[in-house]
Amino acid sequence: MALRRYTRQVDGTIPVQALLYNDEELLASQDGVGIYDGSQKAPDHQVGTIHVTSHRLFFLNAQKARAKSFEMSLSFIVQTEYYAGLFKSSAKITCHLSGTPVGLGSSEQDGAHVAQFDSWECEVCAYRNPPGFSPSAARICDLCGVPRTTVPTPITSVSSYHLSTSLPTSALSSSTSLPSGSRSSHGTKPTSIACPACTFLNHPSLRSCEICSTDLPQVSTELKSAPSSRPITPDSDDDDNTPSKSIKISFRKGGDKPLYAVLKRALKTKSWEENGTASLRDANSNDTDNRNAPGRSGISGILRTVETSAKGRETHMNDALQDLEAFMVKAKDMVKLAAELNEKLTAVSSSSGKGSDVVLTSGVAEPEEATFIRSSLSQLGLKMENTPVTLDMMKDERKWVDELARELAHVLQGSSTSVDHTGGMMKNRGIIALDEVWGGWNRARGVALIPPSTLLQVVPHLPAHTNPTIRHRAFTSGLNVLHTPPYSQAAFGARISSFLMMSGPKTTVEISTVEDLTVALVSEMIDDVEKVGGVMRDDSSAAITGGGSGTGVELKWWGNVFQGYIWDGQE
Amino acid sequence: MSLSTHATPSGYLLPSIHSAPPFFTEQPNPTTQSTATEQWIRLIISYARHRKLFVLRVEDAETPGSEWDEILRNERINRRILPDHLSNVMATMVSKNLAGYEPAKQTRSALIYWRLPEEWAEVLYDWVVSVGQLNSILTFYDITDPPLESALTNIPVPLLRKAIAILGKTGRSQMIAIADGEGVRFLARSK
Repeated sequence: MALRRYTRQVDGTIPVQALLYNDEELLASQDGVGIYDGSQKAPDHQVGTIHVTSHRLFFLNAQKARAKSFEMSLSFIVQTEYYAGLFKSSAKITCHLSGTPVGLGSSEQDGAHVAQFDSWECEVCAYRNPPGFSPSAARICDLCGVPRTTVPTPITSVSSYHLSTSLPTSALSSSTSLPSGSRSSHGTKPTSIACPACTFLNHPSLRSCEICSTDLPQVSTELKSAPSSRPITPDSDDDDNTPSKSIKISFRKGGDKPLYAVLKRALKTKSWEENGTASLRDANSNDTDNRNAPGRSGISGILRTVETSAKGRETHMNDALQDLEAFMVKAKDMVKLAAELNEKLTAVSSSSGKGSDVVLTSGVAEPEEATFIRSSLSQLGLKMENTPVTLDMMKDERKWVDELARELAHVLQGSSTSVDHTGGMMKNRGIIALDEVWGGWNRARGVALIPPSTLLQVVPHLPAHTNPTIRHRAFTSGLNVLHTPPYSQAAFGARISSFLMMSGPKTTVEISTVEDLTVALVSEMIDDVEKVGGVMRDDSSAAITGGGSGTGVELKWWGNVFQGYIWDGQE
Repeated sequence: MSLSTHATPSGYLLPSIHSAPPFFTEQPNPTTQSTATEQWIRLIISYARHRKLFVLRVEDAETPGSEWDEILRNERINRRILPDHLSNVMATMVSKNLAGYEPAKQTRSALIYWRLPEEWAEVLYDWVVSVGQLNSILTFYDITDPPLESALTNIPVPLLRKAIAILGKTGRSQMIAIADGEGVRFLARSK
């Protein structure tokens, strides 16, 4: 009886999501489904909903949800057939089943099943595995991949194999003799239980070894539970004992095709095997208990995992680097292409500039296109004329600094070519603070920003690329400026002192107004001029009336009236 | 800019630089300041000679009404020399041996050497010779306040002592202790 043998009852009142294992996934659902056990209708399973998950098939009965719902592992399904339906007959999926059925060893499997839903501690890495994994996944440690070595599952499953192989033939007739048979399979009436770890013979009522506290195989409980479950088996077994190893799912409300597709896919994926069944099967087939077989367990397994992951990472990295290299080669081509394009554009614009009287219309239209192309290039970071110069574009650092100086000269004075005459930062100003230069330059670059240290490196190279030359000057206060020749110390000093001689003493503010510079900057510059004796100060704190230290202290600058003074008083 | 000479009520002709306001401000630039200090020293000595002033005090720059007002202040441009500035000028004068702190070990007042002590010694000796007092004993009072006004009238005693000491080195004077103080005998030029 396939249905009974291969399925396990579940409480259908629980939503299907709550029945899933942690690593299980609900794939599809269809209601209005009936079940055929073999070729006959299963009377208790005619209206319900079928759910296909990555591991199991659920049938939740719509009428008698609590009692007549079941689940079935997909691993039992060896073959499926699809019947599209004809006239009144609805579409059906036939699942041929094989493998170790659960039905007869239900109590033992239940015990194992219950154990699966406990949390357990791995003996190798002491990781506390959470409950809720599928049976195959729960058999190995989630962390280190070592199979669970504690007693119950393997041993009971082995014993259940004995049962299941012996049972199908004698399932009905020898139902009464079975208990003794099962007893004999476990040996004589258990007077004592040998500890699997230390072989100490413990009293059967003990659950763990008296000596080493290892959990003992629960022989007695199995034996106790076996008879209680046994009577159920024969009483509803009205069928013959030919193994009708198939069930049919009848779709009374359609939805058969998508569900069948999903089922096929789930069967193909075999996700119930993913984690540990393979190794388990290996262990079973070898019929040995060498759990440290060179599989995926133990320290060697961990090492191997680490190794493979490292290898994988390395190959990924290599791939990425190769990609990057290829990309860089391409980037060079791109830059070259952009350069050529730019050259052509310049050539065209210059020729059109020469022959502007000849081609007026195209002369108007062309620059627009040119600027469009140029701006596109610049958006790609490939604009040649004002491309931000970066270190990797240059061969050596000296050349790089040189290029930067040229670029900075453009920023400060505007481009010397006739293309755009917007003028640079110093178009209307002869002197500009270095911090402003830095900010403006980086704003102009937009990418690959220049650190202040590099700016300081570049500044000394500036005079070679600027016309009129722009030089750097540092004041004693630490203020750094770039200036054109009229603002050099000598020129400014001469201008100021002659100005003072001409128009009389002036305050700093008055001078800054005349020079159109900031007061702070002017006071710095005048201080410098004073240092070389170009000007002298008249402090109104020396006044007889008014003035004095405190209110209204005013400093007036005089030209150097002492210089070349010849005594003209009384001898 | 109207820098011009100016004659004071006492008949002293002030130099044009005295009407330049920066002259009264201490200049941070050492070169400029040294020029200014030079002119100040020249002005002070020249004025001291004009007015026969011997002592200059820092206080003279602080309060109006002193006999140095004509050069330490310039009412026309509303400027005066600040005490610190004057003190620095005096220090420079002392370092150049154009003045000497009197009393010593302070910097608030100084004797202005508009004649150097050596010059004063010669002046003193010439005067003694001219009044025929060689080989006779003279008190300091006799010298500083002679019946007939001389170049030495009101000469401060410390300066007088220096002059006498200089003459003593060449054997032309001799300090003599007398009942009510000190006396000095001038001797003929050494044979």
